Amino acid sequence: MDRQLRKRLEARFGERLTGPVRQRHDQTEIRIAPSDVPEVMRELHDDPTLDFQLLADLAGVDTGTHMQVVYHLWSATTPDWLRVIADGMPRDDPRVPSLTGLWPGAEWMEREAYDMFGIIFEGNRDLRRIYMPPDYTSFPLRKDFYLADDAARSPGGGVRHMEQTHVPTQATDRVVRRTVKA
Amino acid sequence: MTAQHTPTHQHPSADDPRILLDDSIGQFEAIPPYPPRTEREAEFYTLGDGEMFINMGPQHPSTHGVLRVVLKINGEQVVDLDPVLGYLHRGVEKLCENADYHHINSQVDPLEYISSLFCEWSPVMAFEHLLDVEVPRRAEYIRVLTGELNRVLSHALFMGWMALDLGGLTPILWSFIERDEIAEMLASITGQRLLFNYFRIGGVNGDINHEFMSRLGDWMTRASAQHEANTQLLNENEIFVRRMRDLGRLDRETALRMAVTGPNLRATGTPYDVRRAHPYSVYPELEFDVPTRGHNGGDCLDRYLLRVDEVKQSLRIIDQCLHNMPDGPVMAKLPRLLRPRPGRAFAAVEGPRGMYATYAISDGTDQPFRMRIHDPSFIALQLVPLLMKDNLVADTMAVMASLDPIMGGVDK
Repeated sequence: MDRQLRKRLEARFGERLTGPVRQRHDQTEIRIAPSDVPEVMRELHDDPTLDFQLLADLAGVDTGTHMQVVYHLWSATTPDWLRVIADGMPRDDPRVPSLTGLWPGAEWMEREAYDMFGIIFEGNRDLRRIYMPPDYTSFPLRKDFYLADDAARSPGGGVRHMEQTHVPTQATDRVVRRTVKA
Repeated sequence: MTAQHTPTHQHPSADDPRILLDDSIGQFEAIPPYPPRTEREAEFYTLGDGEMFINMGPQHPSTHGVLRVVLKINGEQVVDLDPVLGYLHRGVEKLCENADYHHINSQVDPLEYISSLFCEWSPVMAFEHLLDVEVPRRAEYIRVLTGELNRVLSHALFMGWMALDLGGLTPILWSFIERDEIAEMLASITGQRLLFNYFRIGGVNGDINHEFMSRLGDWMTRASAQHEANTQLLNENEIFVRRMRDLGRLDRETALRMAVTGPNLRATGTPYDVRRAHPYSVYPELEFDVPTRGHNGGDCLDRYLLRVDEVKQSLRIIDQCLHNMPDGPVMAKLPRLLRPRPGRAFAAVEGPRGMYATYAISDGTDQPFRMRIHDPSFIALQLVPLLMKDNLVADTMAVMASLDPIMGGVDK
C-alpha cells in the first residue's frame, strides 16, 4: 500500500474523485465519472510524478444496477497497481469516452467490453463485436444473461448443495426476482 | 475478386440439380455480407487500385490455433489486415462467474494451453488477495520452480514453431524433445502433461516427489548445453537470420502505447517484467536479470533472441529454487467452501507471452461476481496489422510467430 500515492491522487484530482481513494494489498483504487476518463487518464499518463505508462487492463463490469469500466495502470513511481473505476453508467445506455487516443492498444479491449457488456466507447473507430458473430444481439457477460445449464438457477436447483441460489448482493430487483423465481 | 460482394446463390453450380448448395451454411467470403458498421471496417473493406482480399485461415495450420486473417494485398504486399477472432471463444469469464472458486482452476487452464500454470497463477493469486491468505513459502517456491519450467517449455516450443512457420522442420523436432522432458517432469507431480491444474488457492496440489526430482536433476545437468545446441540451429542459420532481421519493427513508444507486455515489449528495449516491476511470490529473493533487446529496432530477430536469453534466466531461477527450497507445508489451511468477503482484487504474473492478469470481484458468495482475465496474446495479436504494413504476404506468418500468440488465450 502506497500511502503517498493516495495523497498525491487526492491532491491532484480532488473533486473529480467520486468516492474515497481505497487501498488494499498492493492496489489503489479511485472512482471517477465516465466523462472524466480521458482527462484523468491523460494526466495520469503525462504527469512525470505519476507517470502511469502502461495500461495493464481494461474491463467492463456489470454490477447489476449499473455499468463500470475498470482500468488498471502501472507506473514505476509506485509499487501499487492503480485501479481507475469509471462508475455509474446506466445499464440501458452505458457510454464512456474511448481511450484509444492515449493508448491505441485499448482498442481491442474496448471492443471486447462492447461485445460482452454493450458499453459504447465513444471515439473508438472500430467498435464492432470481436468474439461473438456479427449478427449476435445479446451481451453475454451482463448479469441478466443466464447460462442455459446453470444449475444454481434452474428449477432443479438442489443439484448444487453449496448454495441454492446465487443472489448478487448488488443486483437489481429484476435480476433478484428472476433469480429467486427460478 | 471485386469490391461488391457476390450473393452465394449466384454460384455457377446453383442450377445443377446434382449439386446441393446449402445457402444457410454459406460460403467463406472475405468481404462481410453486410454494410460496414465502423469507420475502420469501411476503410478496410474498400478496395483501392490493384488491391484484393485474401483469406488466411481459419484453418491455417500455423496460426497457433484457429485464427482467420483477412489480408488486403497489392500484388505481393500486404496493405492492411483484419484479424477475425472468436473461433475458440468459449466464454471462460462467464463460466468462471458461474463456477465456485475451486472450479475456476480447471476452467482457466486451457486458455494458453502451452503455459497453463501461468493461467492458473494469476486467478489463484487474485483469490488469495480476496481471502487474505498467506501462501506457505515452500508452496511459493514450488510455484516459481514449476512456473519457470513451464516457461522453458513454452519458449522451447516457440522456437520450434517459429522455425516451422518459416518452413524449417528440424527445430520443432528438437524442441519437442525438450518440451517432452519437461512435460513428463511436470506430469509426475501434477498428473497432467498439458493442462496441469496444479495450483490451488493457498498453495499447490501436492509436494514435489522423488520422480520429479530425479527427472529434474537429470535434465538440469544438460539443460543449458541442450539449449545452446537447439538455439545454434537457428542463431547461426543465415537464411533464418536474414529473414527475421528488420522484419516487423516495433519501437519502444509504440509498444507501450499498444499496451504490449512481456518479451514483445522487452524486445523493444523496455525492461518491464512483472517479476521485477511489481514483484510477487518469492521473486524478490531470487537473482536473475531482465534481458532486453532492441539494438536492431525491435524486429522479429530481437523477439526471438530475447526468448533465447530468457530461457537462460529461467534456468538460473530453477537452480536457485532447488537450492533455497524451504521445508514446510504446501497448502495453507483453508475451508472447503470459500466465501471471500466482498471486495476487489487484481493480480498479475509474468508469463512466457507477457502479463497474465486477473481482476476478481467478490460479492461474499462462493462464486466470483466478476472475473476478468487479461491475456497477453490478445494484446500482441493487435500489433499484427501495425507490423505488417507494406511487408510481404509470406512474412505474415513470420511476424505472427515472432509475437507468439496462442489462440486459446486470445479467444478466451
